[in-house]
Amino acid sequence: MIMERGKPLLSPVDPLFIWLSLFLTLILNMLIGLGNYFWTPDLLAMTLVFWSVHQPRRVGIGVAFVFGLLMDVHESALLGQNALAYTLLCFGALSIHRRLLWFPVHQQSIQVLPLFVLAALTEWITRSFVGQSLFNWGLLLAPLIQAVLWPVLSTLLLIPQRRDRSSVLDRML
Amino acid sequence: MSLESIDHTPPPFFRQGISAFSKVALFGLFAVLLMVSDERFKITHPLRSTIATVMSPLQWLILQPGYAMGYLGSYFVSLQEARFLATQNDKKLTLDSLKLQKIEQLQIENEHLRRLLNLRPQLSVSAKTVQVLYETPDPFSQRIVIDKGMTEGVLVGSPVIDESGVLGQVTRVYPLVSEVTLLTDRDQSIPVMNVRTGQRNIAFGNPGHASGALELRFVPPGADIEVGDLLSTSGIDGVYPAGLHVAKVSRIDRRTDAAFARIHATPLSNKEGRHLLVLQQFKELDPPPVETATKPVRSKKTGGAKDQLPALEATDIGAQGVRP
Repeated sequence: MIMERGKPLLSPVDPLFIWLSLFLTLILNMLIGLGNYFWTPDLLAMTLVFWSVHQPRRVGIGVAFVFGLLMDVHESALLGQNALAYTLLCFGALSIHRRLLWFPVHQQSIQVLPLFVLAALTEWITRSFVGQSLFNWGLLLAPLIQAVLWPVLSTLLLIPQRRDRSSVLDRML
Repeated sequence: MSLESIDHTPPPFFRQGISAFSKVALFGLFAVLLMVSDERFKITHPLRSTIATVMSPLQWLILQPGYAMGYLGSYFVSLQEARFLATQNDKKLTLDSLKLQKIEQLQIENEHLRRLLNLRPQLSVSAKTVQVLYETPDPFSQRIVIDKGMTEGVLVGSPVIDESGVLGQVTRVYPLVSEVTLLTDRDQSIPVMNVRTGQRNIAFGNPGHASGALELRFVPPGADIEVGDLLSTSGIDGVYPAGLHVAKVSRIDRRTDAAFARIHATPLSNKEGRHLLVLQQFKELDPPPVETATKPVRSKKTGGAKDQLPALEATDIGAQGVRP
């Protein structure tokens, strides 16, 4: 890929870090999900999109499916409901991954917003098939919050790959 | 120059596995299959149970911060509050002991009377104490997860109560935890009896309704029911033992243009409580009726289909009476 001028050159990713971040966001997601609100952002979905955009050869649809099943069991939702949403989400992420990285990070969040809305709608449609079709505007608030959080998450997850990570950390702290 | 020397497979650099589109089709189809088999055929329990067991350490982990906070919070409860609680509990204890003595007396009396009438002694119900782990993070359903499962002998269908009334029913059992569906879930219903009038009915879950999360359906507008009436279990379904408190009637809509009154009730059990009792089902359920050519005539009482149970019981007793 031709590098854009002024873009930092990233060192290769540590596979261990990918899995660690996925499991951490799974745990975090389980924890904040206990609040039982409609608008809780799905951090796991965001991390899955992030890695399928940045490392499409390591994290893809299969991984998303498995993590979706885990969330299904935890939420005691219909088995496969989150799995379907995450699968479609990752497919969307894979199909835009070449374009997305040309944009600066705050413009990326506008591009990932439709993906998150699509995932939320998928979940709502599967629910309405089994008769739980209670529509709530909070359902659309969650994708918005996810899109707003996207630059934060992107920056955080890219820190270990940056060559100037110590100076980045200094600036943040 | 022979072509055989050339490797026909692409070099590893270009190998990408199957395409993303076929992958999404494959996994999407699999997810849909899973959902259908979960919703329609109910055959995914082994898979769900396995995943739940694998995830139980994670679930334990996420509950720790909450417990720690709770512990710290309770540590710093002020002395005044503690004193207030102590006096309140004292009052409650005396009141309860009074009631308890009365109940003991009534139990003894009841036993005498039953023996006198040569009735079957009422089955005493064994119970397990359990703790609530968490509410399921699904705003569409009303379920909680408790800390005992198959290894502790929890059975699917067992009623769950707390100190003030019936809370719900065990609907899924995993090896280490199980899942309780609350009475207020939209799929849940419970046979109840109005304590004041003795009228039987079925209360359906109606989550999200402001004036009471339970609903009595098919009550004629002229029925004798008032706001504040206590509803308790009627015990005719073989799941919930008779006489447990369920709810209080909170609102009655009698409409002249509708065939039935709409009656809402508020459950008495404390949804936020932590310690619960899981009761054992006190009666084996009858096997589902075999479809025959002639359909039995249904009784048209207010209770609906569940009213057939006492009739069955009566015939059982009749048959036993004939046998000797």
